This record gives sequence, C-alpha cells and structure tokens, in this order.
Amino acid sequence: MFDEPVRRRNMASLTPLIDVVFLLLIFFMLTTSFLKTQSLSVVTPAPNASELPTDARVVEIWLMGDGTLRVDGTPVARENLTEAVKAGIGGRKDMTVTILAESGSRTQAFVSAIEAARQAGARDVGTARVEKITP
Amino acid sequence: MIELDQDPPRRQFETLIPLINVVFLLLIFFLLAGTMTPADNVAVKLPTGALNDSERDMPATLLVEADGFVWLGDRPIDPKIVEQALKEYLADKGMERVAVKADAEAPAEALLLLMEALRKVGVQQVTIVTERGR
Repeated sequence: MFDEPVRRRNMASLTPLIDVVFLLLIFFMLTTSFLKTQSLSVVTPAPNASELPTDARVVEIWLMGDGTLRVDGTPVARENLTEAVKAGIGGRKDMTVTILAESGSRTQAFVSAIEAARQAGARDVGTARVEKITP
Repeated sequence: MIELDQDPPRRQFETLIPLINVVFLLLIFFLLAGTMTPADNVAVKLPTGALNDSERDMPATLLVEADGFVWLGDRPIDPKIVEQALKEYLADKGMERVAVKADAEAPAEALLLLMEALRKVGVQQVTIVTERGR
C-alpha cells in the first residue's frame, strides 16, 4: 500500500531532467561549429604602389584578371607557384616578393600567392593593386 | 498478481537509463568538441591555405563579401569609402589584432582596398582567415 506512491514519484522526477538534457543537447548541437580555421598574417600595403622596391632583389607575382598567375612575366600554374617563386629567389636571403593584383583577380589567388611567397623563403612580401598589368 | 502489477514500471525505468546515458554522452561531446563562435552576418566561403600563424582571439573581425562589400560589425560599406568608418569601428576594438574574413571569390581589389585603408588608419598587420586546404 505505501510502496506504490513512492515509486511513482521517483519516475515523475526523472522526466523533466531528460527534457532539460535533451534541450541542452539540441542547443549545443545547433550552436557549435566544428570548422577549423587558420590564420595568415599579412603586412598591410603602403598607400601608393610607387613605394614598392623595383630593383633586382624583387620577384613579382602577377595575379591576372582572368585568374591566371605569372611570376616575373612567365605564366605559371597555381600548383607550381611555390617552385617558380623559389626559382626566382634562387636561395638568396634578402629577396622581396611583390604581389600585384589586377582588377578581376580573386581573393583565393591572392592568398595562394602570399603563401607561395612565404613558403619560397621571401624576406618581405609586398602587395599592391593595379588596374591593368602591362608587361 | 501483485508481482505482475509491479513488473512493468520497473522494466520501463531500466530501459530509460541507457538512453539517458547516451544523451549525456552526446551532450558532453558537443560541450567539449565544439567551439562557440558568434555567427557572422553574411556567409563567407573562406579561401583555402596551407600556412597557419595560429593567431587567436581577434577582437575586430572584418568581413569581405563575394561581391566586394566590407562588413564592419552589422553594416556593409563599399571598400572605397571604408576609411572613416574603419577609424570609428576600430576605436573601441583596438588596432593591434584585426582579422579579415574574405570570401574566396571576393575581388582581391576589394581586399587590398580594405588593407590600404587599414594601413592609413594605423594598422600595420592584418590576419587573413583561411581554411585548411588540400
């Protein structure tokens, strides 16, 4: 006679707990993001492109408006960019890589060019935008 | 007769416990594995990259949309006239740690215009957010 009400009360106290746990679960499932991002530090460009050095210690990467890339005027495929820049640098320690972005080029190409320049061992990476690159 | 009456509730109770265990486990998994970040105003498809400078906790994050517009907080601004707004936006965020989330398809011109404006305002270095590439 006395056993039954006690057991029923135990069962009832469990259901709200499960509800709350489910709610929390759904909340965390919806709000968490599993996207792993990386970061790439870049020095902001000088206001006018004429401040960029143009002597022999510079390798230029051109981002053309049609999406192609050129290293010192020679067309290069995206996957060979690092090797091409490395060949241009030639093992010297004081080289600057300048990235010129023609209007129409995309951010992905820009990021790839910065990474290629850094992986090739450039001392400085300069960036500038130009309306039209005239070889 | 009494025993038969008592059996069903106990069995129900016992089948519920593994369920709760699993839900608790899932809850703890999401708590530990996920990172909570405030959602951005616009969806940005990040460019892929290989390098990681492991910069964390950037108080000021600027978004560059695929059409070239720059988002400062909750308002979109054309990158050509972004300088004054940048000055106001970074006044309370600090100049030291500025992150740029640019869409992979955004014009590089817009990103460079934004970076030039940042230099004029006094930011020497920005962090471009990328995704781990293939």
